[in-house]
Amino acid sequence: MPRIACLWVPDLPLCAAVRAEPRLAGAPLAVAQAGDLGGRAHVLGATPLAEGVESGQTLAEARAVCPALVHRQASPERERAAAQAALEAAATVSPRCEEAAPGLVYLDADGLSRLFGDDRGVARALVAAAERVGLRAAVGVAAGKSVALLAARAAAPDLTFEPTPQGIGGGAFRVVAPEEQAAFLSGLPLLAIDLPDELQQTLRRFGLHTLGEVSRLPPGPLAARLGPEGAVLWRLAKGHDGSALAPRPQPVRFEEGEELEWDAQSIEPLLFLWKALLDRLTQRLRARGLMARELLLRLRLADASWDDRAVDLAAPSREVAPLLQLLRLLVEGRPPAAGVTAVRLCAMPVPEVLDQLPLFGPRGASPVQLATAVARLSALVGPERVGQAVAPDRWTPFAAEVARFAPPPPPGVPDEAPAAQLELVARALRPPRTAEVRCDHAGRPLLVIGEGALGGRVVASAGPWRTVAEWWTDAPVALDSYDLEVAGGLLLRASPARPHASRGAAGPVPGGRPGRDAGAAAVARAVRIGFRGGKKTQGRPIGGH
Amino acid sequence: MTLPARRLPKDPRALEDLLRTGQVRRAPALSPRAPRPLATGIEKLDAALGGGLARGQLHEIVAPPGAGGTALLHAALAAATRAGELCALIDPADAFDPRRGGIDLRRLLWARPLDPVQALRAAEIALEARFALVALDLAGSAPKSARPRGVIEVVRFEKKLPSPGASPWARLARRAEKHGGALLVLARAAQAGTFASVTIELERGPTLWDGPPGAPGRLLRGVRAIGAVSRHKRMPPSGPLPFHLPLEAP
Repeated sequence: MPRIACLWVPDLPLCAAVRAEPRLAGAPLAVAQAGDLGGRAHVLGATPLAEGVESGQTLAEARAVCPALVHRQASPERERAAAQAALEAAATVSPRCEEAAPGLVYLDADGLSRLFGDDRGVARALVAAAERVGLRAAVGVAAGKSVALLAARAAAPDLTFEPTPQGIGGGAFRVVAPEEQAAFLSGLPLLAIDLPDELQQTLRRFGLHTLGEVSRLPPGPLAARLGPEGAVLWRLAKGHDGSALAPRPQPVRFEEGEELEWDAQSIEPLLFLWKALLDRLTQRLRARGLMARELLLRLRLADASWDDRAVDLAAPSREVAPLLQLLRLLVEGRPPAAGVTAVRLCAMPVPEVLDQLPLFGPRGASPVQLATAVARLSALVGPERVGQAVAPDRWTPFAAEVARFAPPPPPGVPDEAPAAQLELVARALRPPRTAEVRCDHAGRPLLVIGEGALGGRVVASAGPWRTVAEWWTDAPVALDSYDLEVAGGLLLRASPARPHASRGAAGPVPGGRPGRDAGAAAVARAVRIGFRGGKKTQGRPIGGH
Repeated sequence: MTLPARRLPKDPRALEDLLRTGQVRRAPALSPRAPRPLATGIEKLDAALGGGLARGQLHEIVAPPGAGGTALLHAALAAATRAGELCALIDPADAFDPRRGGIDLRRLLWARPLDPVQALRAAEIALEARFALVALDLAGSAPKSARPRGVIEVVRFEKKLPSPGASPWARLARRAEKHGGALLVLARAAQAGTFASVTIELERGPTLWDGPPGAPGRLLRGVRAIGAVSRHKRMPPSGPLPFHLPLEAP
């Protein structure tokens, strides 16, 4: 006989509110309908500390009963996130889950005995998984979905209210063994079942109050009098569950959202909000052994439009501080066009990196440490300034690009470093600096007038070296380069900034020496320093320090 | 000499005396093994350093422009990445050229902070992540040049720039020691002071040119430099180490 478990989160709006603000768990809290914070809004749920407050009361009535009442507006974003969290909690116990409604999840409990023991162990694991994501759940385990739901509802009176750092705990469970299913069902009152009011009244007029009384009736006449609903009720009373479990693939996005009661016009309130969202998001990721590969930030603006942004993380992470810093940088760099009324944060998950480090090889950063460090560095200096250096496949002097840092696994046995020799290394100047070079009659450079340490008297020089490259593209390159040694020891490779400029005192002559045509006071302006030679020159940058 | 345990004195104080005077030593297998240093690949420098850059220590290269400081930094990175170690290059001057061969770029994390304060923080983060070698290139931030005589400086009251703090080097040295990474700092003038366990100084030698001045086809061949380990916490300073830095390695 199959075993189905049902995880049900009663009072979902209340649980979602406490999950979003765990400090409210110790306060008399009521959650009211969304959209109206006036006294006419109806209460949807209240904590036990709000004595006398019941669902269905208006806020004005609730405040009259409990003057210290704290109220929050129901938030669809929060409830959606809480429902997702419930589904993920169920998925940590069994991979075959079906979300029947927000906060109501069925899962296949067959074959879990080696992990959790008997049905009670499965139920305990479900309650604990829900508590880990800040939810208080009632769990039922039975032979079918309907009976499992009834078992979960039967466990609901045993729920307690226990504030936890994540939200609310105090779940309860009820396991209906196959041999006691008939007894369990026969004792259930009809009021415990979601039936239409009209059908409830009809059954009451018939003198039927429990499922056991319904099960003893012949099914044909019952269906003839009550219609198809009567037949369904009879099958339920007999424990015949017609609906099979329909497990669906898990969502690939982890989402948390929150609505603001006013338009946020500055970054500070958003930071508080993001911190709470990231806390909950990373908690869910941790529970599943996942990390965030990418963050998607959706901001609902005051004009009802959505502002979508993506944070492509340099490495998977679930550290709140760097992620928060990245969000801050993202929004500060391009502020939204209007005030923010709601925030939704989605994480694209990837499995946690759990590579084993070598026994004899170098013991370096673990993948998680590495990912966290890259994320922290990205937050510090900007994601476009951290990563693996890559030389682009084109002839552009000192061009460099940044790629994702994904080092290969370390070698099993470390290699011995081969003997090497020092050689001159160029230091790139990005962007290339402009300086002025004065030459003598023969066109030999004499003086570099540049910014800071780049200037000085030229004590030795060589060149020019003509470089022609990229002629096979639409942007061919042809420039002359000079090797200059200025007083103080600095070596420079300089190139005219505009190699194809028209001849004249201000421009160098292509193929010739700077300013040869300009007389004694020849000047070659706009010398670009920091370029290196191309294929037709020495092919090695200089200016090494 | 190995003694059986029964012949050791029973009195703990007497045993302590023997340990203090060196008559009894802990067995090598029981003592913590010193981590293997990171070789730079430059044989004479490695010999002067006692095998290479010690893990958990702060090393400093002080070199004027053109003396081979950047070359030494890159040689250390090349040797470490080729040995399979993960390295980080903190490059606030954005001066690294990835086209240069030798370094296994897949094992090198390149971070380009916007200012020296960020660079120090980035180095701290890299050390905390247990990178084997963290190279901090501060050669791009040149020291203040001396004010020429007769120049009047106009003082402006502006917002004070963020300073790296009183002793960032003490913090970095502690991080390196705690997390076991070697920190290699390149600067034009000594920065870390007594917090550096090793200081390598380089002096610029003559530049080598081929061909007479002004002649067509004149070529730059390289430079000569003199280096020395001027300070080492566990070894005596080295003698002069001559280096020839060709434009292209033979």
